[in-house]
Amino acid sequence: MRFCGNPPKAAGSPLSPSKNDSVATWIRASKNDSYALQERKQFLIKAYHIVKASQIDTLQTRKLTTMAYQNLKLGDTTLFKNRTNEALVLATRINDSFAMGDAHWNYASYYTNRAVYDSAYQNFDTANKYFDKSGYVYESANMQYGMAFIKGRFKDYSGSEVLTFMAIKKFKQIEDFKSLYSCYDHLGALQNDIQEFDKALYYYNRSLEYLREFDNNQPEYEASLNNIGNTYLKKEEYSRALQKFNTLLKNDRLKLDNKDSYARALDNRAYCKLLMKDTLHVAKQLNEALHIRDSLDNKSGVIISKIHLASYYTYAQDSVKAITVAKEANGLADEIRNSRDYLESLSILANLDAQNSAVYLKRHIEYSDSLQIIERKIQNKFTRIAFETDEYIQETERLEGQKVWISIISIVVMLVIALLFLIWRQKVRHSLLLFENEQQQVNEQIYLISLKQQEKLENEKIKERNRISEELHDGVLGKLFGTRMNLGFLAIEGDKKTLKQHQLYIDELQTIEKEIRDVSHELSDNIDSSQINFLRIIHDVLENKSKLGGFEYEVDFNESIDWHKINQIIKANLYRIIQEALQNIIKHASAKNVSLLFNIDEEKLVVEIEDNGVGFDTKQKQKGIGMKNMKSRLKKLNGVFAVVSKLKGGTHLKIQIPI
Amino acid sequence: MISEKHFVLIIDDHPLITEAYITALNYYSKHNETVEFSIQTANDCDSGRELIKKVLKSKEHKYIVFLDIKLPPSRDGEILSGEDLGLLIRELLPNPRIIVSTTFNDNFRVHSILKNINPEGFLIKNDITPLELLETIRTVVNDPPYYSKTVIKLLRDQVVNEFILDHYDRKILYELSVGTRMKDLPKLLPLSIAAIEKRKRNLKLMFNVRKLDDRQLMVSAKEKGFI
Repeated sequence: MRFCGNPPKAAGSPLSPSKNDSVATWIRASKNDSYALQERKQFLIKAYHIVKASQIDTLQTRKLTTMAYQNLKLGDTTLFKNRTNEALVLATRINDSFAMGDAHWNYASYYTNRAVYDSAYQNFDTANKYFDKSGYVYESANMQYGMAFIKGRFKDYSGSEVLTFMAIKKFKQIEDFKSLYSCYDHLGALQNDIQEFDKALYYYNRSLEYLREFDNNQPEYEASLNNIGNTYLKKEEYSRALQKFNTLLKNDRLKLDNKDSYARALDNRAYCKLLMKDTLHVAKQLNEALHIRDSLDNKSGVIISKIHLASYYTYAQDSVKAITVAKEANGLADEIRNSRDYLESLSILANLDAQNSAVYLKRHIEYSDSLQIIERKIQNKFTRIAFETDEYIQETERLEGQKVWISIISIVVMLVIALLFLIWRQKVRHSLLLFENEQQQVNEQIYLISLKQQEKLENEKIKERNRISEELHDGVLGKLFGTRMNLGFLAIEGDKKTLKQHQLYIDELQTIEKEIRDVSHELSDNIDSSQINFLRIIHDVLENKSKLGGFEYEVDFNESIDWHKINQIIKANLYRIIQEALQNIIKHASAKNVSLLFNIDEEKLVVEIEDNGVGFDTKQKQKGIGMKNMKSRLKKLNGVFAVVSKLKGGTHLKIQIPI
Repeated sequence: MISEKHFVLIIDDHPLITEAYITALNYYSKHNETVEFSIQTANDCDSGRELIKKVLKSKEHKYIVFLDIKLPPSRDGEILSGEDLGLLIRELLPNPRIIVSTTFNDNFRVHSILKNINPEGFLIKNDITPLELLETIRTVVNDPPYYSKTVIKLLRDQVVNEFILDHYDRKILYELSVGTRMKDLPKLLPLSIAAIEKRKRNLKLMFNVRKLDDRQLMVSAKEKGFI
């Protein structure tokens, strides 16, 4: 048994369909061999209609290929071809490389089944390209194994070996032990073919190592033992070969479970014994094996059995019977195009049938020549396909390179654009910020100017008042006094009443003087109002807010603070901060007492605002803009800001501003 | 009876007032024949100074000076008011009898004048009537001093109050009351700003006013007769 079968085709695509997926259900039903063949075909048609009715996407395309393969398995080649073609067209359209590979795999399986190996090879190759490109390791390895298998069949041993090793690398990567077993088994077969029996044994043993790694390995184990036995047989180590076959046949269940395998072992053991010149039961066993194989319609098995029988009859010197079975084998081999057995049967006949020996030899030579030509042709074809593949790879690489360049360039361009955009945005933000800042400065300036203006106005007012006061005091009052005095010394002539009246008016004048003086004093009575301006404002705002918030307040100014020295901007901002803080207290704290403290500490103005309200969690992020405003104002003044607060423990706000 | 001759200097910038004094003096000498007045007038600090220097020649004479406090200052800026002139008179004239007559009635100025000039007569212009003026002349001529009502009241208030305020305290209070800024005070007093602040705090404590309230301090100081 040289090649033990086609590479296994995966039952489903990697996209596992969901359980309630009707398509998947129908496909599953079609795989169930408890249904009649017709029914199963019907299921597939139903699945097909559902797929056709649905939207074309990756999932549906992949289902189509699965379905097609199922059709093939059920022997419906026409439907298989149609479905696969359809899937291929769809996959190409939506550029699904897995589905494309899968479709080609379908074809490869189909051609392998039909023994059209060059087409099969071509399809394996194409499928491999698609799988390899899109990283489907298992599938790609399988394709390579398929190709290796075909190459081995056409005696391109080294090519087959190379491909097998490539597949092995991939299978090892995904730890697929069953496939690894198959690969090593195949390698063993290759070595067997080129008579390197030791190497073959080595590979077979390797394959057995992998065999132990997976379950349900009985059939593979039997095949392996058989292969190893055959190798020893060829190596003419008959006792070892016999040992292997005996091991196989020791299994009593073999005859029941795997008749084919049993027949093979039985046949091989008998042949081995024959070669050891031990003819006991050999004829019987060879015939039993032949019988079983015949009943199983295993034609290649039958051929081998018959060739072995021919050998037996030759040994038994029953040349008539030997020729008969050899002819039968030859006919059968011709029928199923088994060239190896055909050639072997021909050489046996040439030996046995002395009369027709020349004819057989001639036929043998002709056939093996033609076989060689075909093999060479096909090998050439493989080479061409490989070359095309190389070209394809080169082209792909070139395109890939182009793609890489295009992507790099586009990424760079995109980055540049993004960068430009970022710069632009930053610029806009910056200018916005600048504008805001400018506006703020202008506002502040306006405020300062108005403050100064007010102060000036106030000063002028005071000056004017003083002037009036002075004028009244020094000028008018003096003149009035002089007038009154002089009037008093005037000897007024008249009666007593007139004199009394005169005195009365003089007294009245004195009263007027007094009034004017009082007015003058009041006018000049201006304590430096600007000096306490700021404190006054703070007082006012506290007064106002305390009424709003219903709290008592207490304020303490350190006397040594020279408010004149403190920048108006600081005062203006401080005022706003205090206002904001008081606003916060009103809004959130529900405090009963608020105290405000102004102090000076080494060139730093220290303001403390304390309340006995509900407090808040300082760790929590503040949503309000109140705090933010205070912070930003302080930042402008290079000030520091500290809040100590506990829930239900009041809040203590400490502000430090360098002056 | 030998008539007594008094050299009278009237230094006042209001001609009307000067005239009133002259009238009063004349009226007085008319009714008291033993008293004779030789009257000379000046109407500002410059002419006042000149007048003092001029009359200085005769040392034995008795001098009576009517001195206004608010006068146009001298051109060289040495003499700024009647107060300075008063000091000059005290320095130059022998035993002058100074009658300060002023419209100022604030306690600080009054106190300051009392302290500096110690006048024989002290009239607050608004207080006096012609009769009082005559009485002033009489008292000053015969048995000084004569203080008008406001001055006496001030002296009484100060005796009653137990505060001890020195000149600087008074000056601070006064300056603040006339609207001088704290920052300008060190220029007017030989004290640092910190010392002034300290004095102010003490004053507030004394007058029992809240720390913040300068205005209240002024009101209180005025009530108690310090400004």
